[in-house]
Amino acid sequence: MLDTLDSKTATPVTLAWTGVVRHLHITPRAFLPMRAMAELQLIAGKGIDSDRYMIGREEGFYSSKPEEGRQVTLFEIETLLALKRDHNIDLAPEEHRRNVTVAGVPLTHLVGQKFWLGETLLEATRLSIPCRHIEEITGKAIFDPLINRSGLNCKILQGGTVRVGDAVRNAA
Amino acid sequence: MTLPITTVKTIVDRIEDGGAGIKVFRLVDPDRWQLPPFRPGAHIDLHLPGGMVRTYSLCNDPADNARYVVAVKREAAGRGGSVLLHDAIDVGDTIGVSLPRGGLDLPDDVTRFAFVAGGIGVTPFLSVAAWLKRVGRPKFTLHLIARGAPPLAHLLVPLLRSGHLVVHDTAAAARPHIAALVGRPLSDVGLGCCGPESMIGDFEQATRDWPASRVHIERFVPPPLPVDPDARPYTLALARSKLEIPVAAGQTMLSALLGVGIDIPASCCGGICGSCKVDWLEGAPIHRDRVLSPTERARSLMVCVAESAEDRLVLDL
Repeated sequence: MLDTLDSKTATPVTLAWTGVVRHLHITPRAFLPMRAMAELQLIAGKGIDSDRYMIGREEGFYSSKPEEGRQVTLFEIETLLALKRDHNIDLAPEEHRRNVTVAGVPLTHLVGQKFWLGETLLEATRLSIPCRHIEEITGKAIFDPLINRSGLNCKILQGGTVRVGDAVRNAA
Repeated sequence: MTLPITTVKTIVDRIEDGGAGIKVFRLVDPDRWQLPPFRPGAHIDLHLPGGMVRTYSLCNDPADNARYVVAVKREAAGRGGSVLLHDAIDVGDTIGVSLPRGGLDLPDDVTRFAFVAGGIGVTPFLSVAAWLKRVGRPKFTLHLIARGAPPLAHLLVPLLRSGHLVVHDTAAAARPHIAALVGRPLSDVGLGCCGPESMIGDFEQATRDWPASRVHIERFVPPPLPVDPDARPYTLALARSKLEIPVAAGQTMLSALLGVGIDIPASCCGGICGSCKVDWLEGAPIHRDRVLSPTERARSLMVCVAESAEDRLVLDL
């Protein structure tokens, strides 16, 4: 699979990046505040221990729409900085409602690819889509600014413990 | 199949006697997780068995995010919600609640407050008082007008001791003039009122010369939400199921369809994910989605954001 194409030569170019886990959050049920965690337990094929979207738990706002590829969700901290810079909106890491906030990871390029999140191996299934639900919870007009940069949904191929500060690396 | 989750799940952790036919319910998360935050004076909807939805002010300090505390007066001649809560709800029962809404604006340049409450209408000012005392803005007076023993005495004692509460017992003396309680407009004073409609009418009259931004009124029955002044009602005609569904001004097509039991898949509710795309057959839709091309719009619309420019819109449902 090609990451991107050099427009002049049409030869494949692999993105070079190494990121880091900045924040980890879970919540047990829809609507409840996300809680910061020092580490999360990821269970292959299921989800995050004690999170609302863990398969079998089904207590999330979207649990009525089951989705195998939504076992863990990621968000770029750079998007939070851009919201402040471009829209003067303060959005805290616990407010975007994804589980893992990363720095230095080009999430929008990773759909269909595998990558390491600490000791766990993930496969990116699709980009997250912003929803009005998050505006209802935060009271902030963030639907429009989050279009096309609302995070990444992933399947857990290899489980384990993810800690704040862990490296995020391409598995290619 | 898992049903959509539309409320915050809480369980009744404690029920206390609030006196004067009042019960105080303490609601918590089943795992004691923190609950969604609320502003001083905010309220929540309780979704009760049988589909009843009733709104109550939160009585606890907004800093206390481990619980929602509501006080409910049993109204035998009411609409049934308070009777159900008093007679059928017990400790351990599950109650779905809405996200907290509303609350008082307490801007920093307002340094003094006067609140006027009638009976059980004291409840929103309990969370306001707790908040003001905690953040070091203690210059406020709460006037409670009640007949006989005041409601929620155990929650009022600290305010009485700190000199913040004045109880006007209308069984012992004439009802005070609201105008005398609120005084003349002053730039650093904010006002609030919650009580029966007659009291609110008097309060509105007494504060007609005050700037609106300094006056907050909390009604027992919330007024309807403001709608877009350009919004208009229309009828959805469903060609296949032969149904005619009225859509109120400002209501979404999606909510009108769900309201009559038509299961429409929806996700983002902002016109981008495409889950709720439906074909239309006749009429003049106003699309408002972000993703359909002109060609697609000639055939389809997204019911979460679309409206109708004409009185009738026919959908292929």
